Amino acid sequence: MVAALGGLAFGLPALNHALPSERPVRSDRPLEIGGGVFVTPPPGASIDLTVTRPAEDTGKVLFRLGTVRYLITVEPYDGSLSAAVARLRQRIIGNSGYQVTGPDLMVATIGGLQGLQGGYSGPGRGGRYAVFVADGHTIEVTVSGADLDLGPTLSAIEKSTRTLEYHAEPPG
Amino acid sequence: MTAEPRLRSERTAPVQPGAEPGLGLIRRPAFWIVLALLAAGGVRMALIAAHYAATFPIALLTATLLFALLAVPFSFVVAELDFLEREPPVLLAVAFAWGGLVATSVSIPGSGALDDIIAKLGSPGLAADWGAALAGPTVEEIAKTLGVVAIVLIARAQVNSVLDGVVYGAVVGLGFQIIEDIVYAMSAVALAGRGDTVEPVFTTFLLRGFLSGVWSHTLFGALAGAGIGYLVVRGERPRRTRIGAATLAVLGAWASHVLWNSPLLRDGLGNGAVALLAVLVLKGLPPLVLIWLLVRSAHDREADYYAAILVELNDPELITPAEVEALRTGSRRASARSHARARAGWRARGAVRRLQHAQARLAVELSRGTTDLTRRHLEVRRQRHLLVSLGHPEALVPEGKGPWRRTASAVFSTALAVAVLWALISSLGGA
Repeated sequence: MVAALGGLAFGLPALNHALPSERPVRSDRPLEIGGGVFVTPPPGASIDLTVTRPAEDTGKVLFRLGTVRYLITVEPYDGSLSAAVARLRQRIIGNSGYQVTGPDLMVATIGGLQGLQGGYSGPGRGGRYAVFVADGHTIEVTVSGADLDLGPTLSAIEKSTRTLEYHAEPPG
Repeated sequence: MTAEPRLRSERTAPVQPGAEPGLGLIRRPAFWIVLALLAAGGVRMALIAAHYAATFPIALLTATLLFALLAVPFSFVVAELDFLEREPPVLLAVAFAWGGLVATSVSIPGSGALDDIIAKLGSPGLAADWGAALAGPTVEEIAKTLGVVAIVLIARAQVNSVLDGVVYGAVVGLGFQIIEDIVYAMSAVALAGRGDTVEPVFTTFLLRGFLSGVWSHTLFGALAGAGIGYLVVRGERPRRTRIGAATLAVLGAWASHVLWNSPLLRDGLGNGAVALLAVLVLKGLPPLVLIWLLVRSAHDREADYYAAILVELNDPELITPAEVEALRTGSRRASARSHARARAGWRARGAVRRLQHAQARLAVELSRGTTDLTRRHLEVRRQRHLLVSLGHPEALVPEGKGPWRRTASAVFSTALAVAVLWALISSLGGA
């Protein structure tokens, strides 16, 4: 009985840990995040298989570029853009030691999605966030990493974020 | 020559009476191992609760109260199943704590890891669609079944019928269900990002507690517990048969859970409340009916066994043939109590309830071969004298009416509750 419990509580996590959790992803075509939202990944990015979950009405993808995390989350949502941003900011500052660093700025994707973006900082880390609202969904983008690593990757990530697009049907 | 008709109850395993565990429990090493596991699980879950209590104290209190309330109807059903041969409260508490503390503690890392493994060996899309359907049931059903195994290891004599396995399995499942639902509610609060608010708790309660509550862990646990009960009780059957039956029951619980969590029929019946309700019924009803039939059969077997013992007493002051019939099922017992109230008032109703308990205890002592039954006889006679003095000497079910009226009333009440809660869910935007 104890061995079976140990297998479930420690064996499965150990096996999970032993398997590689990242998979390289192509940066020359859109990747489905879920909920009808697509993004073109930044060059050199891998997806984290433990977080990425593209589902029908929701979705999450975590790209890793070295130590930098680039997370996009799609969820059903029926509120305003400002309320969606306030919600994300609340979650960010809910983490101990994290602060939002300034007012939000307007941002737009190539496909015309309008959003708000801002920055935040935490212990030894900095980051960016952006929020878009499209057809009953909220698209939250959070980027985080050590300041030294974040600088060189930020432009590629911003370029990737601008490729966010929503399609009720998958693009042909 | 015609064969005698076979009773439905004979399809399940026989009853093998066992002695009260008493202080013998603490002399068993397994008891201390289980206690250590409960302590470890308790610490793990206390840490999670402390985290939420610091951040969302009002939401945590609300979730705890709401889901504790949800336990009440389930407890009534389990108590009715367990009416004739009551399981010791200490073992029921161990089973409940196993579900709430050990099985949950193990399932949180185990299910998460298995979900990740599915994503790594398959794809993130596969994990998104089928991860919850495969990972959760696989880890959780094993962890909960081990709770019934733990009860067998520390008090083998108490699992003396398939129904006992059902009861312990259901209680393990109930403990798991309540704690899991509280954790889900708190995750919803954290995800909402609106601070210490209770709306996500209410939504979680209505969706998980109400819509998913009936066909959830209590039900799956009961099925797996029936398998362990069969494995333990059917000593005369070949080992292979017993293990096969137990495995089949656990697989049945797993399959029911997989079906419930699966994305099947997610979009099959269109949008709207009726379509959603139809999907819930299609996915939840088959396992519910299957498990209910199995449980009824096991319950009838136990009822037949104790009824036969009581009939042999042939002492109408202890129990009459009509009272034996009334004692067999929960609905008849309830009808006998209602009948007493209608004829002689609330005191008579209470006396019938106590009489039925006393008769059940007497039956169990008789099955154990207890020689000194003076105390049990006295318990029964005391209630009998009270009933005689109240002008309702026999705790019987009235002819021609009774159980069906109660069943109709229960169905109507349930339908009304469904309508009210459905309106609430719709108003919250959940449907």
